[in-house]
Amino acid sequence: MNPVYRFGSWLIDKYAGLREKISPGWLEKNRSKLVETKLSVYVFTASRIGLTGLALVVITLFLAIFGPFIAWEPYDVYPILNKPELAGKLPHPPCFGDCEGLPMFGTDQYGRDVLSLVVRGFRIALVMSIIIVVTSSLIGIVIGLVSGYFGGLVDEILMRFTDMMLAFPGLILAIAFSLTLRLSLRDFLMANPTATSIVASLFALNPKDAPNLANLLSVFLALILVWWPPYARVVRGSVLSVKEQGFIEAAKALGLSTWKILTRHIFPNIMSPLLVMVTFDFATATLSSAALSFLGLGPQPPVPDLGLIISQAGQYFPERSWWIVIEAGTALLLISLGWNLVGDALRDVFDPKTRRSIELKAKIEVRK
Amino acid sequence: MGLGSYLLRRLLTFLPSVIGALLITYLIAYVIPTDPVRAWVGEKLMDPSTLDKLKKEYKFDAPWYEQFAFLVEKLLSGTLIDPVRGTPVVQQVAQRFPITVELAIFGMLFTVAIGIPLGIVAAAKKDSVIDFFVRIFALFGSSIPAFVLYYFLILAFYVYVRASLLAGVPFYSLSCAARLDSIRDTVPVLGYVVWAVGQVPIFGAPMCGEFSVVSDTVVRMWLPGLALGLLSGGFIARIVRNSLLDALTSESILFAKARGLTNQRIWRHALKNAFAPIVTILGLDFAGLLTGAIIAETVFNIPGMGLYMYQGITRLNFPIIIAGTFLFSIIYIVMNLIVDLIYALIDPRVRY
Repeated sequence: MNPVYRFGSWLIDKYAGLREKISPGWLEKNRSKLVETKLSVYVFTASRIGLTGLALVVITLFLAIFGPFIAWEPYDVYPILNKPELAGKLPHPPCFGDCEGLPMFGTDQYGRDVLSLVVRGFRIALVMSIIIVVTSSLIGIVIGLVSGYFGGLVDEILMRFTDMMLAFPGLILAIAFSLTLRLSLRDFLMANPTATSIVASLFALNPKDAPNLANLLSVFLALILVWWPPYARVVRGSVLSVKEQGFIEAAKALGLSTWKILTRHIFPNIMSPLLVMVTFDFATATLSSAALSFLGLGPQPPVPDLGLIISQAGQYFPERSWWIVIEAGTALLLISLGWNLVGDALRDVFDPKTRRSIELKAKIEVRK
Repeated sequence: MGLGSYLLRRLLTFLPSVIGALLITYLIAYVIPTDPVRAWVGEKLMDPSTLDKLKKEYKFDAPWYEQFAFLVEKLLSGTLIDPVRGTPVVQQVAQRFPITVELAIFGMLFTVAIGIPLGIVAAAKKDSVIDFFVRIFALFGSSIPAFVLYYFLILAFYVYVRASLLAGVPFYSLSCAARLDSIRDTVPVLGYVVWAVGQVPIFGAPMCGEFSVVSDTVVRMWLPGLALGLLSGGFIARIVRNSLLDALTSESILFAKARGLTNQRIWRHALKNAFAPIVTILGLDFAGLLTGAIIAETVFNIPGMGLYMYQGITRLNFPIIIAGTFLFSIIYIVMNLIVDLIYALIDPRVRY
């Protein structure tokens, strides 16, 4: 049996043991749920696409967490300022062998090591995408749940507003939002050193660079503002179909509070499509925030943002910057490819049609 | 509900939707805490009397709703002037939108040419090598940063194989434009349609026999079109594959098999049933392209609507923002309407 599945199953057993210790009897009550979860893990790990994606996601997450500490060069010191002999040679292509002290994988126009910048870039890309998607999906879930469950006038108002947000090209709306928020965010960060240092440590940037932090935050908030409407639509649709089913009637008849019905009975039943959507959106959000940086709306140099690095290199493309575009582009590709592969495999896991065949094979092994 | 009442309902919600979209974008631009007039004029050329004049002219001294009403009214009468370039925005949009339409058509052609055949083959040979390849292709298409793909296509087909042009957009001669105008003015309704279609150079030029414009446009536009096609072709292929497989396993097809229909007829039925969702996705994709592919326009240097809107927003050019939003919301609504109508044509089960 494959080791990834064994690890996953071990984790589930540990978690179950912990719950059992806290509240005895939990294990017996949730046995079927545990087997079901193990089956899902098995189906996921049985696909090569899922495993490749998982490996990529783990690598990119590792780089996002530790990249800024691994990176061997400060991003905000331009070597060209200290070494006048570099003038006229930059950006320097990758060199193997006789490098005269220049980095092996090439430099950018300021003489910085591109690879070191790219390693730092993972942090910004990952933090951006994860927080954007998690926050906006939460907003969308709340709006969708309320709209779908209560219906009537609330539903009408919320959905017309959602439609209006959807009717407009997202990227352009995000540009407008980001410009709106930029200056007030800058003032806010200037006035609040604590907030600035929190944001700076989140992105692993220099806290003194408040304008760039404000730019990053503005792109970030702008994307959250345009990202939630699809979630609201999807959640509302699923809620509409779930809320008419018998077990919800039963829960109502038993006198459960609306809050409990929503969180305990409706939400778990609409979760699987959401999980797939969120995973795919990590990739899309990575690319969208890179696109905004590419257009010049995100941070400005020296921030090691992958989209910004590529747009700067674009001015010299191709003769004097192909390596920069390749290195930063590959980083972006790996991040989004990882999420997309995982999402693709997850969709198979939750799709009853593709799952049935693998499940039959898996059932015997999982029960052991 | 019948088609008639459906159309009526659509018409009734048309105007509120457009006005709503206009209001939202206007308010977003309005609350940006900078002085738009200063952004138009530029910091260097600041002459207080000019600033005051511009402020008065664009009603920055009036409350926001008056300014909004002023902008919309001027836009609808075609006399809204872009304060930066000094020409009416309607005229600017009329120059740029046809270029966006060309880009969208080329992008759509490549998307369909890549997506639909690949999807059909993948469905026919499910779980084969080709199916796996289509899956990987789709995943790469949605994972690669668009600008990186564009750069490398330019490197391949412009720098190494000199098979494309990247500067200028071919346009037919002025006499041709005059001829189209005269058609519009002489023939009542049809003339107007011909004129409108003719505004897109690649359609207008052959009407006047200027075929070199067509070939120039193809040389200019095929590469961005291919780029857009590569990005979304794989995704479309996956949708085609999945909806075809759904259709092939449906009960109606099972029944057709039981009746002993030939393979060819079974596939024809399945294709017809599968195409409704595909039309929706393609329609929305096309609407997305019509509202401008900003990144593609930036990298390939195409003066289309996306770039225009981008410049308008970053310079707080209210007339451009209002005009662009107006066009975009109409495109979105009309495209949705067309998709719904095609749905009804393809699938007789659809009722409104």
